[in-house]
Amino acid sequence: MAPSLRGGTLAGTEAPHVAVARLGRFERLPWRRIILVVLGIVVGGVVVLGTLRTLGLDRVEGGYSGGAWRDFIVQGAAQGAIFAMIALGYSLVYGILRMINFAHGEVFMAGAFGSFFFADAYAKSGFLNRSPLLALAIVTLVAVAVSVGTAVLLERLAYRPLRNAPRLVPLITAIGATLFLQNAFRGFFGPQPYGYPKPTVLAGNITVLGVQIQRTQLLVLVVAVICMIVLQWFVATTRTGRSMRAVAQDREIASLMGINVDRVIVVTFAIGGVLAGIAGVLFSLSFEQVQFTMGFRPGIAAFTAAVLGGIGSIGGAALGGFVIGLLQAVGPPLILTGFGIPSVFSLKDAFVFLVLVLVLVFRPGGLLGTGEAEKV
Amino acid sequence: MAARRWVRTGAFAGIVTIFLALVGLIGGFTDVFLIGDEVTFAGLMLLLPAFVAGFVAAAPRIEGGERREMSLGEAAVAAAVAAASAGFVFALAVLFTDLIGDERIRPIFLNVSPSLMEFVAFGQSTVVGAVILVALSTMAGVLGGVLRAAPPVIRRPVTAAVVVTVLFGFLQRVIPIALDQLSLERDWLYHPIHDGLTWVGAAVVAAISAGISLLNTRFGARVRGSLSSSIGGRSGLAMSPVRLIASVAAVALLIAAPLLLGSVISEVLGTVMVFALLGIGLNIVVGYAGLLDLGYVFFFALGAYSLALLTGATLNVYGVPPDPAISGDLNFYIAIPIVMLIAAAAGLLVGAPVLRLRGDYLALVTLGLGEMVTVLVGSPWLVPLVGGPSGMRGITDAAIGGFAFRDPQRFYYLALAFVALAAFLSWRLATSRIGRAWTAMREDEQTADAMGISTTRFKLLAFAIGGAIGSLGGALFAVKIGSLTPASFQVIVSIQVLGLVILGGLGSIPGVLVGALVLVGLPGLLREFEEYRFLAYGAAVVAVMVLRPQGLVPNVRRSRELQEEERAQDEWAKAVEEGETPGELGPPAEVTT
Repeated sequence: MAPSLRGGTLAGTEAPHVAVARLGRFERLPWRRIILVVLGIVVGGVVVLGTLRTLGLDRVEGGYSGGAWRDFIVQGAAQGAIFAMIALGYSLVYGILRMINFAHGEVFMAGAFGSFFFADAYAKSGFLNRSPLLALAIVTLVAVAVSVGTAVLLERLAYRPLRNAPRLVPLITAIGATLFLQNAFRGFFGPQPYGYPKPTVLAGNITVLGVQIQRTQLLVLVVAVICMIVLQWFVATTRTGRSMRAVAQDREIASLMGINVDRVIVVTFAIGGVLAGIAGVLFSLSFEQVQFTMGFRPGIAAFTAAVLGGIGSIGGAALGGFVIGLLQAVGPPLILTGFGIPSVFSLKDAFVFLVLVLVLVFRPGGLLGTGEAEKV
Repeated sequence: MAARRWVRTGAFAGIVTIFLALVGLIGGFTDVFLIGDEVTFAGLMLLLPAFVAGFVAAAPRIEGGERREMSLGEAAVAAAVAAASAGFVFALAVLFTDLIGDERIRPIFLNVSPSLMEFVAFGQSTVVGAVILVALSTMAGVLGGVLRAAPPVIRRPVTAAVVVTVLFGFLQRVIPIALDQLSLERDWLYHPIHDGLTWVGAAVVAAISAGISLLNTRFGARVRGSLSSSIGGRSGLAMSPVRLIASVAAVALLIAAPLLLGSVISEVLGTVMVFALLGIGLNIVVGYAGLLDLGYVFFFALGAYSLALLTGATLNVYGVPPDPAISGDLNFYIAIPIVMLIAAAAGLLVGAPVLRLRGDYLALVTLGLGEMVTVLVGSPWLVPLVGGPSGMRGITDAAIGGFAFRDPQRFYYLALAFVALAAFLSWRLATSRIGRAWTAMREDEQTADAMGISTTRFKLLAFAIGGAIGSLGGALFAVKIGSLTPASFQVIVSIQVLGLVILGGLGSIPGVLVGALVLVGLPGLLREFEEYRFLAYGAAVVAVMVLRPQGLVPNVRRSRELQEEERAQDEWAKAVEEGETPGELGPPAEVTT
């Protein structure tokens, strides 16, 4: 930026090359490359070794049966579908504003919490079990409304004034907003968890293609896939979708072409909100509980998914979501059990963060991305 | 249409009031008195949004490229319209609640309590209460509007008087203790029965703060001039005498605080100092070098746990506590440099692979690292090393000879000494060649690189130094608490520290101290507000970023940069209006990559 060069800001910083010369050859080794390679070898080695050792275990020694692995995979896929839906919200906003909407996890939480009171009332009146489809549809509509409202308000009050600010400013604001939203909901409804009712039709298992799967998980997978197809269609073919893509490519030129950029941005936040709201209901039905802190960890997992798939791309977010879900469900037992680590599932969040770190370090552009993200 | 804008401002304020009521900031505080029998915290919360709405509605507008101040009459009308709509919106909500019955809303919104409903009805029927509500809101708003439109020589002292008086009201549990310690009479200042200020006390406090504020305006410049010439300070003196006196008073207060305030408050102040230390460390990373680190809890935990391991703490288990897998038996003062070295090395190791990442990605990698630490220290896997969920105990009390520092009053001085040390170090660093390189890098990385600054090396350096200071904070925290549990090392610590650095002003050392006092001290002193502290944190961070990015106590160079940007934009706007090509005076090039 031009103004920073004024006032002699840089005066006196011309010396470092002298220091380089003095520190000599040791300093000039490609330390970053070396650390990366060592890190890569260590991580790869641990993964392979752990996997081999786990698969070599008998049932008595704490190994798992084939059925257990199948359960892990189904569970991971269902979890991943939810992550994917949240991840799309991160990805869409990032694609258009180049901004990480850190508070998106709380948008998800808001939808889930908002829908709870309707679901609870319907459960008490018996409506939820009498006509589960209608009841769930209304509950989902409420969740979507609350999530969209939260997302749009967030954009209007916190992000819009900062649209041209340096990149870190909106991110810091988003962190503040996360804290604010969490604690606002805590203030409204209290810190305790609420039990989320589940219609009886969703209880129990169902056999699909010879695989036993919980009914809730099946619902989650089906709804998530439908949502993603609809979104893909929306962005690819509708007029609004086209303007979204145009704004993502170049905001200024898009506005010169007569696209109302503000409106497109609001629509983007709203779409993210719709998906987060639906994800909120699905998540609550799977875990049968809502609490004000419920958005944080899934939010980070979803963000990791978005980055893993290549942030800014819809297919990438979907792919990343499933991958993260599977990694979280299958990774800890597969890799860690072999080392005799107790209660591996308590480490599943650490697993997600490790993946986040590794992806950003080794392939910041993501699986489907270009690698553009490494430097400005 | 101006009127529509006023109504919109007011309606927003009304919604904010509803929000405050729903989170419980009104109904729960009807018996927290600030001044006399009349001004309660609940009342303040009820009317503050209307007041602010009036203030905002009366703000000068840019019309046709010119700044237009409102006359007092206009301001009063605008403010009245805005505030009346605020009151109206809130009154509508109250009437609605009353209509469907507050007992039916309570199962959902827990804070719609009978005491709230009684309070907002002013003990009358709901309809009469609503009328009173609108009237009171309008009055508060008109006050705000008139204050906004008044000339600065009136506005500044009045604002100062109001703010300081309210602050004194809040400190109702702190200042009386100090007065008692000094064996001064306190009943004239604070109400003996319900803790708030008395009206006489409030008047005195308001008068004094208005007077001091008046000294700082242009009117006071003459007085200041004669004052400084009588002291004999020539223009060579770096500070104005007023600032000098204020600084000396602040330092004296910092030193005397625990003696004046007793051990309960010293306990809180000790925590403030620990967070100030963390803030100073993070300020180097975020404020100086411009690297957003969201995983600062990593260094905090590292410092606390490595100190515990080095000084021979034990696992927290019933019976004979076993030693952890690695255990040293060092003196605190020998362990501290080792802890800092470990942290610096960890900073280098963690930083090396990730520092090439762009700013926002770096933030998330560090967030991930911080969270990993949280999960790891609490996991059953690491029980033999750090005790897992039940943690460690028996941490050294940092005694010198027989003089232990566990007692809150003594600990405060230990922490203060480290804070002073870190602040001095950080201040010297900022003005050194390294500091200038950081500034250059922060403002424009590519240019800095082109000027021959090895950005990777200076980033690593910032990470290492910041990490070392953060680990010092962790070590002191361990000494203060005497035992460690994973609950103290959550991601919220990172965000808290970031929040206080930002509130105080990025890059400003006094700002860190002010930020720590406001964000850690105030909620610690007012136990009733404990559950609202993070709400306030979040609101403060967003508000600072949107309204006042330079923070409360800005770093001089940073705020100058921000102002210059603004001025360049104004110039540009003017040039466009006069039909000239903006040319070289263009606004700072927007970063769109």
